[in-house]
Amino acid sequence: MSRHQEDQSPDMGRVLRRETHSTRAVPAIAAAVLVMVFAAYGLLEAGVHAIGQPAWLIEPQVAAERLVALPAGIPPLLLGALGAVLAMFGLVFFLNGILPGRRARHLLAGSPDPGGPAVVVDDEVIASSLARRARLAANVTPEQVMVVVSQRQVVVNVRPTSGVPVERDSVLAAVESELAAMALDPSPEVHVNVAPSGVIGA
Amino acid sequence: MNSTPTLLNRILITILGIKLLAVGVLLMLLASVPAVAAWWHSWSAGAWAGVNQAFNATRLPGRPESWLWILVALALLVLIGLMVAWAAQQGKGRANLLALEYDPGEVPGDVRIGGGVAEQALKHALANRPDLAGATVTTYDVKGSPALKVRLLPRQGVAPHLLADEVYALVAALEAVVGKRIPVLIHIGAGARTRFSRAERVR
Repeated sequence: MSRHQEDQSPDMGRVLRRETHSTRAVPAIAAAVLVMVFAAYGLLEAGVHAIGQPAWLIEPQVAAERLVALPAGIPPLLLGALGAVLAMFGLVFFLNGILPGRRARHLLAGSPDPGGPAVVVDDEVIASSLARRARLAANVTPEQVMVVVSQRQVVVNVRPTSGVPVERDSVLAAVESELAAMALDPSPEVHVNVAPSGVIGA
Repeated sequence: MNSTPTLLNRILITILGIKLLAVGVLLMLLASVPAVAAWWHSWSAGAWAGVNQAFNATRLPGRPESWLWILVALALLVLIGLMVAWAAQQGKGRANLLALEYDPGEVPGDVRIGGGVAEQALKHALANRPDLAGATVTTYDVKGSPALKVRLLPRQGVAPHLLADEVYALVAALEAVVGKRIPVLIHIGAGARTRFSRAERVR
């Protein structure tokens, strides 16, 4: 082993950051297509004009004069609606660009060794695992438990079977022990809501 | 994991968003506020006169057209090219080589292990598990070094940490076979296949 390749493992922190945040690939492609469509139309008109042919849709001269005269020549309602639609699209792109874009995912911190695999879990998977645990602790059917997992909190909603009381604390303890075993990062806090009314025939 | 240019995406999307927002707000103001309409008339008439003069000053000799149109066409062509390049950057970064090392043993030479080795081995090991609705393994090139991404689709109710522990063991076995530490990312996800399939009951 004379020319042993030095260990150049990639920066796992960077990989994990990229995995838990949106890449904005879809809005990026939408934006690229939008710009391409407009540029292609402009290219067509510019090319047609450069070789002295009549314009395809509208003569650039006429278009510019209409733009200059703008509030006139078009119903104000239509103009306002057009502006609102454009502004809405702009807002969608703008917010996509500046918001953090965090995905509904958590890291599992319980890796056996630091250089080992890193684990990213969708919140939906965590929720269904916690729901199963809560269901077993409360002794109800799957339809009676709903779990919502967000970045910083877990909400467990249990509807007991009519006549069979559900102990809130035992459900809380079960869910918390499952969460402790998962060792999520960032670790959420648990809220258990037991519905005051039960369901019949479950 | 892939080499999608996230920062560039953010910047370009933000710029486009600001522009569309500005045009939209201007149109709305033009339609509703008369003072803005008056300002727009004075400003745009001046700008249009300037553009008109530029086109008149750059006529092709002997013809009524301006050569500025050719410049405009070229600029738009470049813009289209840039947009195609940008869209093509999304989701890139797949690799097909897992290890590449010089082996000075009895027969000196390079040893290359393709990414298919790890992909096939892990996929096969995960294929018949009852608690998984699907598993995909891909090799990515992360800043010049190979890394594996294992995407697991567990059925409803599967504890993700227990599943991860079992995949750790598989990855450790793979590393022993390949003879090299491989950076691995395990993504335990949910999709339509897990949402509408039956829950795993016995475990």
